Amino acid sequence: MERLAPVFLLVDDDLDDTFLFEEMLQQVSPTVTFQNAINGKEALDKLRAADTQLPDVIFLDLNMPRMDGRQCLSELKNDPALQHIPVVIYTTSAHPKDISQTMQNGAACFITKPTDTCELHNILTMIAQHVHGDLKGALAHIYCYDPDS
Amino acid sequence: MILIVDDKQENLYSLKALLRLHLYDADTANSGEEALKKILKNEYELIILDVQMPGMDGYEVAETLTGHSRSRDIPILFLSAVNIDKRFITKGYASGGVDYITKPFDPDILLLKVKTFTRLYRQTKELNEIRETLEQKVEQRTAALVEANKALEASNGELQQYAYIASHDLQEPLRKITTFSRLVSDRFLAGIPQAAVYMSKVMAASERMRKLINDVLDYSKLSDTPKFVPCSLDQALQDALTDLELFIREKQAQINTAPLPTVEGIPDRLRQMFQNLISNALKFSRKDTPPVLNIRGERVAGKSLSAPVQEQGDYCRIYIEDNGIGFNEIYLNKIFVMFQRLHGKDEYEGNGIGLSIVKKIIQRHNGLITAESKEGAGTVFIVLLPLKQPVINQPAELP
Repeated sequence: MERLAPVFLLVDDDLDDTFLFEEMLQQVSPTVTFQNAINGKEALDKLRAADTQLPDVIFLDLNMPRMDGRQCLSELKNDPALQHIPVVIYTTSAHPKDISQTMQNGAACFITKPTDTCELHNILTMIAQHVHGDLKGALAHIYCYDPDS
Repeated sequence: MILIVDDKQENLYSLKALLRLHLYDADTANSGEEALKKILKNEYELIILDVQMPGMDGYEVAETLTGHSRSRDIPILFLSAVNIDKRFITKGYASGGVDYITKPFDPDILLLKVKTFTRLYRQTKELNEIRETLEQKVEQRTAALVEANKALEASNGELQQYAYIASHDLQEPLRKITTFSRLVSDRFLAGIPQAAVYMSKVMAASERMRKLINDVLDYSKLSDTPKFVPCSLDQALQDALTDLELFIREKQAQINTAPLPTVEGIPDRLRQMFQNLISNALKFSRKDTPPVLNIRGERVAGKSLSAPVQEQGDYCRIYIEDNGIGFNEIYLNKIFVMFQRLHGKDEYEGNGIGLSIVKKIIQRHNGLITAESKEGAGTVFIVLLPLKQPVINQPAELP
């Protein structure tokens, strides 16, 4: 059976970051399908819609209106239909409390948004390469990425 | 008013007449029981009490009165014609009397005693009233202070929260500036050196601002409730040196350290204190001479920067000595103030926060800091830290 094109979902209220993310993703792999939602609520609604193709990986910002990433993460991990999808925390925070809490709540890795697009490019390349392989293992290898440290 | 208690009517009359004659207001009671009733109702400044009475005798009355707060302070003067033996007199004092007069008595002496005891009573009463007022005032003030303290804690917490949010929100647009500048630079400016220079200036400025915001954020975090633990100053110093490794190598600095004691403190803050002091010394080094830093400490006797050395002293004095450009000591107060700089930004880098953080950390640790310097002759920073921190009731941690 032919493999479906990978689907990346970005949940982020920041439109600049969304724009950059999509552009980098297209550069990394033009076949990847990009989905986005601007808060946790919208993401869950989209994921739970009947006809949706579930993403291979979810990038989740933490600070968003309506439903933030922390709450969205626990909803995802408590939903039997969604809990298998690896969640990458993708945020500006590098607060130790945010890192430890989200990792405990089942996030696959924690990435602090890099200001250098090359770094984003590298991360997305790595994830795209492993999307049909051992993605969780690859993400666990990144574990916690902070460009400042 | 004076209360005379006697079961014999004639005694009451004569004594009342005597007191009236000398302008004392007097009331009478025929028995111990009646006396107690009257004392409950009226206010007396002296009780002249017969000892032997049918029913309740004088001793019993006195004992009852001294057992009640309302009547405890009223002086009791025993007056007896019958019980003049020493043991009766002793018993009178023991039961709460202030004096014991036997009959026949000298009216002049009695009057003098009445005068003395009523005056004493009035003074005692006044004192009690003042004491009560004072106690009330102290209570009110204490309550007001507790309230003010709570409000202060709350506003301090709010301020920290505010600083944190402000810093975080300030970082956001800055991150975009950096990201997109870098993108433009990488993609479009390869062949246009002049534009690349301009863009690199934008990025350098953004980086400086990012550091500045981080420093302000650090400073605001210093207001957290301290949690003191035993903390090796040697370790804090080593950690600081590790963090500064690149800078030290770049400056070709030589750093000599001598063993330092362990103090009660916040390890990460003490590391930051050393780091800021050392990086300050490296920044303000002479252009022609590689920096040499000497860091050493000694135990001293008291909380004073000039306290005498004492092997088992409760304080530790640390010297951070450099061979840098120094400064004029008239600016000593300026160097610890936030955003104060003694040099132009083009001469020496820095944002004027480092030493203000050092000062705040040391204050947090109930310590002192000063510096001795001469222009061109290097600087010695002198830090005094207590080995033990006072035990405080730490408020419950905010959620």
